[in-house]
Amino acid sequence: MLQKYKRLWSKKSLKSSYDAVIIGGGVHGLATAYYLAKNHGMHNIAVLEKKYLGFGSSGRNTAIVRANQRTSENVCLYQEGLKLWPELTSELDFNLMFFNCGNLNLAHSESAISALRLQVTTAQFHGMKTKLIDAKECKEMIPALDISDRLRYPIFGAMYHPPGGTVRHDALVWGLAKGASQLGVHIHQKTEATGIGIEKERIAYVQTNKGKIFTPRVLNVAGPYSTLIAAMIDLRLPIHALTIQAMVTEPLKPVLNYVVSSGAYHCYANQSLKGEIVSGSHMDPWPNYTTQTTAHYIKHQAEALTELMPCLKGVKLMRAWGGLADMTPDMAPIIDGNDPIQGFFQNCGWGYFGFKSAPVTGKYMAQFMATDQCPSILKPFTMRRYENHNLMGEIATPVYYNPWN
Amino acid sequence: MSLLITCPICGKRNGYEFKFGGEDRGPKPNEDELTSRKWCEYTHMNTNIGGIQKEWWYHRDGCNTWFTIYRNTLTNEEVQNHKEVAP
Repeated sequence: MLQKYKRLWSKKSLKSSYDAVIIGGGVHGLATAYYLAKNHGMHNIAVLEKKYLGFGSSGRNTAIVRANQRTSENVCLYQEGLKLWPELTSELDFNLMFFNCGNLNLAHSESAISALRLQVTTAQFHGMKTKLIDAKECKEMIPALDISDRLRYPIFGAMYHPPGGTVRHDALVWGLAKGASQLGVHIHQKTEATGIGIEKERIAYVQTNKGKIFTPRVLNVAGPYSTLIAAMIDLRLPIHALTIQAMVTEPLKPVLNYVVSSGAYHCYANQSLKGEIVSGSHMDPWPNYTTQTTAHYIKHQAEALTELMPCLKGVKLMRAWGGLADMTPDMAPIIDGNDPIQGFFQNCGWGYFGFKSAPVTGKYMAQFMATDQCPSILKPFTMRRYENHNLMGEIATPVYYNPWN
Repeated sequence: MSLLITCPICGKRNGYEFKFGGEDRGPKPNEDELTSRKWCEYTHMNTNIGGIQKEWWYHRDGCNTWFTIYRNTLTNEEVQNHKEVAP
């Protein structure tokens, strides 16, 4: 039934001061604003977005959620994040379309199986359902998979993670914006932060293209562009902003009932509820702030998908797009506050893990900003870990200084 | 639109033939007065310029040469004959 179009969030004029200014209108920024208002009674908050809500990585990711990372610190956070989806759906009164189909992470060598063994053990230790399965079981779960030795990298087995799945990413943006706006948060689109003012080593104001905003707290949550925001206070970050490309095929009948990913093929795919195969590839290996797509990755993706699932040969790709991933050397985010400037908070460096972690991180980030006390679940992600030689072991190989990680 | 890079030996080639070698960070810091903070600044931290930066590249699928170029990170295009402005 057609109803009169109603705005999800209201448009307010920019005030000259706020209790907190959140730079970045993506899922992390909106989640933080929502929880600041909901849990901590801070309603005088502005979310600044340079383009439109969800323009950046929030609207460009492949919407996969899971909690089977490699290190305990990460798994704890993502685990709580995973439990939030059904809760948020009812709380925001917005269908986030959480599809709990489970994830299958393919291994194409003995060493990949060994690496997965650690991930499985970590997940099981924290009570997440995850197990190793062999190639035959993979075939039973996804009949379309080719488990023969015809492949360049034959499938040895996989990590099966039933609690994961997909969430509609735009719905999360809109739902959080609606929820935050109802609680009095001001959402300003087409409002670009152009400078950050510091007085007596404290955050004093944010300069925008629409005027100056006085505020004691700023959250840098601009995703890959957070490097440019940090530069406003002469802060350098250990981040490379890399383009990651994704694409969808024409809609098909159900053929892929799990999220399937493969490290060796640099390919991950799932079938959307509309029937399209949504597939993402590896990153363009050079930092840049564009969202360009290239023929290179369309070819790569077509090769990888049809090798893993030969029945996809002849299927047409409908569209391709690029988004940015803010990669840190240890593949873990940077979450910090009041360091080095009082009132300056940051939550960035999520790489390709930003979507699945957004609501839970927003919840704890709000607590951090409201109380000035870093919640213990966020403490491991301090930026000081780099100078303290305390990097996280999120990748199976030692930290390697190139833009891949 | 793909990235083209000019290798000093092979000329203009497809960007995917190369390996990005990081921002040009200048010489390695002096080891005598090296602190964790300084080493961290040198190894981990990036200036992340939104604009033209000097950077290292390696012609991995070609002549194996290391060289520097200037590239605009906002347009992802190599910038020829870029003149550095002293800070």
